[in-house]
Amino acid sequence: MAIPESEQWNLHTRHTLKRYEEALLRQVAHKLCKPRGQWPMHELLDRIASAVTNTPMIDRRLKELPVESRRIMCVIARSRVARWPVGSLIEMLVALGAKDGLAALVNLLESGLLLPELFPLGSDPDAGKTASRARLKSFAAWLTRSDPMPMVLASPLVTNRAFKEDLGIACIEVQAEGSTIHEADGLDWPLRVAVLWQQANGAPLRRTQQGGFFKRDHDRLVGDPILGSPPTDALTPIPDPGLFTAALAFATGLLHEQETELHAGAWTPAWKAPLPTLLVHLWTALGRIVSWNPAQGNAPSDLPGSPYTSAYLLAILYLAQMPEKSWASPADVETWIALRHPYWLGKKTDSLGIATFLLGIAYSLRLLQATKAPDGGWLVRLAPLGRWALCYSDEPPAVPSFKHTLLVQPNLEILAYRQGLTPELIASLSRIGTWKTLGAACTLQLEPHSIYRALEMGDTLTSIVQLLEGHGTKALPGAVLDSLKTWSSKRERIGVYSAGAIFEFTSPTEMNEAIARGLPAVRLTDRLAIVANEKDIEYKHFRLTGTRDYNLPPEKCVDVEPDGVTLSVDLGRSDLLLETELQRFAEPVAAHPSGDGPGAKGNRTFYRITPGSILSARQHGVALSYLETWFGQRTGMPITAAGWLLVTGSEAGPVELRRQLVVHVANEHLADGLQQWPGTRPLIRARLGPTTLVVDEADVPVFAEHLKEIGVKVLFEA
Amino acid sequence: MIEKAQTRIPVKLHRNVALVTTEDAVLAEELLAHKKLAENIVGRLSDRVLLIRAGRVEAVVQELRRMGHTPQVL
Repeated sequence: MAIPESEQWNLHTRHTLKRYEEALLRQVAHKLCKPRGQWPMHELLDRIASAVTNTPMIDRRLKELPVESRRIMCVIARSRVARWPVGSLIEMLVALGAKDGLAALVNLLESGLLLPELFPLGSDPDAGKTASRARLKSFAAWLTRSDPMPMVLASPLVTNRAFKEDLGIACIEVQAEGSTIHEADGLDWPLRVAVLWQQANGAPLRRTQQGGFFKRDHDRLVGDPILGSPPTDALTPIPDPGLFTAALAFATGLLHEQETELHAGAWTPAWKAPLPTLLVHLWTALGRIVSWNPAQGNAPSDLPGSPYTSAYLLAILYLAQMPEKSWASPADVETWIALRHPYWLGKKTDSLGIATFLLGIAYSLRLLQATKAPDGGWLVRLAPLGRWALCYSDEPPAVPSFKHTLLVQPNLEILAYRQGLTPELIASLSRIGTWKTLGAACTLQLEPHSIYRALEMGDTLTSIVQLLEGHGTKALPGAVLDSLKTWSSKRERIGVYSAGAIFEFTSPTEMNEAIARGLPAVRLTDRLAIVANEKDIEYKHFRLTGTRDYNLPPEKCVDVEPDGVTLSVDLGRSDLLLETELQRFAEPVAAHPSGDGPGAKGNRTFYRITPGSILSARQHGVALSYLETWFGQRTGMPITAAGWLLVTGSEAGPVELRRQLVVHVANEHLADGLQQWPGTRPLIRARLGPTTLVVDEADVPVFAEHLKEIGVKVLFEA
Repeated sequence: MIEKAQTRIPVKLHRNVALVTTEDAVLAEELLAHKKLAENIVGRLSDRVLLIRAGRVEAVVQELRRMGHTPQVL
């Protein structure tokens, strides 16, 4: 269950305060709650955590703070961003007239109104680590660290109390020439981000370790006919629009990083919301872009921050300070920032890109309205959506709704009229079709792979048809419906289970019983059924007689009978692969080797290696090396002599049968002596055992003569 | 009324099994006849169920797509 935002902040505040050194915690409590006595630590923590939700107390503390501190709280509140790099806040403080930006932040941290980010918001820090780690002793020391870049967190409950603070920005108003007011529909960047999502879904974007793209993907983004072209609904082109789209999609979370690749992610909740919400989501993400800026375009950098994070917000705040109907020149806004922003102070820069940002991005995001100046240039002011984005109005502007906005043509092309597009519809269309052009009317193509993509992402034929018919201006052409059906049914032809759980029942009746009890399984055979997701199994209905995990190496589950060719399979430990493996070189035994009953006995089945099974195995490419490995894995023993004989017998030299006489002697010493004594040694052809020797039949008279010579009696077989 | 307690069904569980199911046996034969795909198939549970070699699911899916199929990955 999702934790409510206020509760999440409360928890985070407590976890952060627990990491403060006692002296620091007392210092924060002294400034925020002004305790009269020496409270114990846990009570101090409770009081601080409750004070930051107590609006009258927050108001009192804000009043006591210097104006710079109140101003930056106001800026954070209007940005709708709770997590800020310290560097960007200092840049904005200086631009707004603070002499010492760092001091203003330290003041806020010491007052408990800002929190240092010691761990990500929403995460649950390890309590053990909290105790063992060095606690936070001083904010000044913490702020001077460079890696990771210090970030501060500001609870909206606190910052919202500073909304009314005057930012002290003096604006220059400019008289407009005519009365024509231009305002974009705000769809340009959502559509481009959707196109990029689609492309990244087909092939992820690969990045170098420096943060740039590999040449192939760089060229893809720059040269793409949609992404690389200037926005249609902008007043000035921006540099590298394709790379900006990629940076924006990454900043909004629609692309996510896996190792060094950017992959298409899931559509974020903002894509299910109305257009103004999505546009504000994109606007707040702009500050997180560090690899692109409106002056240079693509600018991958090793630095963790960007001066544009603060510059974008300052530019829009400048416009927000003007009377609602007044106009400003983008050049004046840029000059105002160039003269105050510490990053550019004292630098000779041709262009900061702020005017490009206002006319090329902020205008396209519907944050601004524009009109012509007397000199032919553009003048801008905050649009209603911009005022809402900066919290100068409570309600977002109304967006006209045109539900029937799609025209699906028999050639499988979809014409999407822009005025009816919503974030959710853009996301849905991006799944089922391939974007071809963006304009007043956008076009998409329905293709087998695009429908397949949608089905893989959870859409169904019914939901696709409902979407096209629900938003269509005309009924779906029959040819289109047929194609959708054909492509969908083709997908049903092959299923791949990547990690299924197979239930092996002892009888078909038991399988039927299990399915009747609600096992969400698909039948594979009369005794086997598969469940795609193990989490769906209710184990209370089952008694496991054996478990086998196929991610583990093969298990030893076969014993070899003394004959060396009969293999006894332990059914409790065997797996599905075993039967296939055995059938390659052995035959199931119809009767138990002992002769009593069928081939299966107890929890075992039997297979036998026969000359015929080995011949068949050899014909199917089973080699001795395979059997050696198999015996090692499955029996834990080397291949048996009988098995080795059956496999290699045909390749061995011929067996020679010859007539010879076997001499049996009384003891081993006698056999040794006969083998060593020169009188008999040449007559011994071989020694068969400790007391058996071989002589040729023709040598028998000579052999007997020598034995007689040494007094050994000779007996002949009767 | 007290319901009669259900007996537990004895079952052997095979976990983390990767397999391909086909619409019919002919399609399974067609897949097995494809050399690159067959290399990653280690067995056949029935005329339309093929067992995939451990760790080769992604390769099988890629190969099926290369062959023009649109497998439903479950």
